[in-house]
Amino acid sequence: MRRERIEKILLIAAKAFGLLFFLALVLFPFYWMIVSSFKPLEEIMLHPANLGLNLARIDFEAYRAVLFDHGFAGYILNSAYVSLITVVLTLGLSIAGAYAVTRLRFRGQNLMSTGILAIYMFPAIVLVVPLYVIFSRLGQRDSLHVLILVYLAQTLPVALYMLRSYFRSLPVELEYAGLTDGCTRWGVIWRIVIPLSAPALATAALYTFMIAWNEFLFAFMFLDTPEKFTLSRGVVQLSSSVHLSKQLVMAASVLVTFPILLLFLFFERHLVRGLTAGAMKG
Amino acid sequence: MAALTVQSISKRFGQVHALRGVNLKVADGEFCVLLGPSGCGKSTLLSIVAGLVAPDEGSVLFDGRPVDHLSPRERDVAMVFQSYALYPHMTVAENMGFGLRMRRVPKAEILRSVHGAARLLGIETLLNRKPRDLSGGQRQRVAMGRAIVRRPNLFLLDEPLSNLDARLRASVRLELKRIHQQLQGTVVYVTHDQVEALTLGDRVVVMGEGRIHQVDTPESIYGRPQSTFVARFIGSPEMNIFRGMIVHQDMQSWFRGPGFVVSLGQRSFQAGEAELGVRPEDIRTGGPQAPLTSNVQLISHVGSEKIVHALLGDDPITFCVPKDSQLKPDERVHLEMPPEQLHLFRKGIRMD
Repeated sequence: MRRERIEKILLIAAKAFGLLFFLALVLFPFYWMIVSSFKPLEEIMLHPANLGLNLARIDFEAYRAVLFDHGFAGYILNSAYVSLITVVLTLGLSIAGAYAVTRLRFRGQNLMSTGILAIYMFPAIVLVVPLYVIFSRLGQRDSLHVLILVYLAQTLPVALYMLRSYFRSLPVELEYAGLTDGCTRWGVIWRIVIPLSAPALATAALYTFMIAWNEFLFAFMFLDTPEKFTLSRGVVQLSSSVHLSKQLVMAASVLVTFPILLLFLFFERHLVRGLTAGAMKG
Repeated sequence: MAALTVQSISKRFGQVHALRGVNLKVADGEFCVLLGPSGCGKSTLLSIVAGLVAPDEGSVLFDGRPVDHLSPRERDVAMVFQSYALYPHMTVAENMGFGLRMRRVPKAEILRSVHGAARLLGIETLLNRKPRDLSGGQRQRVAMGRAIVRRPNLFLLDEPLSNLDARLRASVRLELKRIHQQLQGTVVYVTHDQVEALTLGDRVVVMGEGRIHQVDTPESIYGRPQSTFVARFIGSPEMNIFRGMIVHQDMQSWFRGPGFVVSLGQRSFQAGEAELGVRPEDIRTGGPQAPLTSNVQLISHVGSEKIVHALLGDDPITFCVPKDSQLKPDERVHLEMPPEQLHLFRKGIRMD
């Protein structure tokens, strides 16, 4: 009895320690980033090892400078534009595509279905040089729309894959019921499949948004004009500039990270909940 | 409401023949039950009639007009699925009104139809609930309601009662019959439950292995099965069937089974190989003058009567005795099979 108690306490202690350790490991860089971004420059210079933040001396100067002197206001808009268009196009195309490979019979269906992931197996680094050459020759390289096109090639396979497995799990009788109730095929997709797939769609949208928002390689290679820079491209520009100022880079990093974090918190509920409860006999 | 004709429909799924040349006519306003074991193709036939599945061959007609090229929407049938398939993201009222909304019926009229159907089914208080908050029986009613708010050409019901418990099933069965009398619709009803089929159907279609074996009134399906397949499938406990010979002797016909002989009385049949069928409830126990003797093996009680499993000659035989019978295992019982209650088949087909 006594021994069991001791074992139990030890186990709880070990669990708590493990959790705290990894939590600290993950959260510390974020903490450091946020704290540094609020400090005036001279404080960072004088006390570089000071982990605390003097609440009386919070300074938004770094954000002001990053947003307006270094053009990050524009970068945010560019990133938002690219990411949102990528999300909308990815969802539209992958809903239609995933529905087709799960529910419709056509020649080459299996090839399509299995080929989806094969596309994703090409690493971006392999594609970036040929694509750079192609779009340079076409004279279209330095453009946000070309960037969107390239991002679609990365987001579509995964979105298709995710939606396909979700659509397969939806009972086909629901669609039959929709058809006999007088829906067209598009009506079934719009009124039954899409509302019931909200969790999967939210996941796919979030994933796509993250890819497009964080993408660096193609943005770095393709974009030349500073007015067209996306956020990740802008951060690199900033950190490689000669008069490197630490809190500016930190403020820029916060601007890159936070929208994703907020999106996650907002969508989290939708990701978990299933929606088909009650459709079937139960 | 429309009359339904199904002409030589065939359907294969890979190597499996789901349907092999099925022909069927259902009159306007008729309640027609498709009865058969699991996997006999009855649900596939229903899906083909609804236009959800395309047949490989054959044709479906409503009121004599082919509808093969029409989508489910244009065929305008209402279907109740075994799994109910209620839209989980809609309330009961929205579920029931969905078909009308898709057909651009004015809102006020949808409301009136939904409330009318809800009153008929006794689910008026549930209209604002979501399917996940309903019990199995309530979901079944909503699924029925979704079908009857419309005035479709046909009602197609695919085992709608199979998920209900026995008591609920019996009451919903009566209700279905009442609703059908009220609405006068053409109904095609699929089930594997013979009690359901015999109580509900104006006509019963017995299917097996993708074929129709018999189309008849419930009385004839039970009383004059046209094949050993139907004979075995209908009735509980199952009909006894013995292999043997029909012989002529002493100016009358006899059936000679393995270790016993039965008189066929005044009925005359062609001599030769045959199968004899007799229902357990048609066999009488008698005194020593009764012509057949059997050895009791096992007795099971089913409440209203006792079912006796015995050996007649070398073959097992099942028959019923009253619930107060004192019969015990290993006893010898004398049996009598009234000639007019015997069913004779040759190569699986009824002889008379």
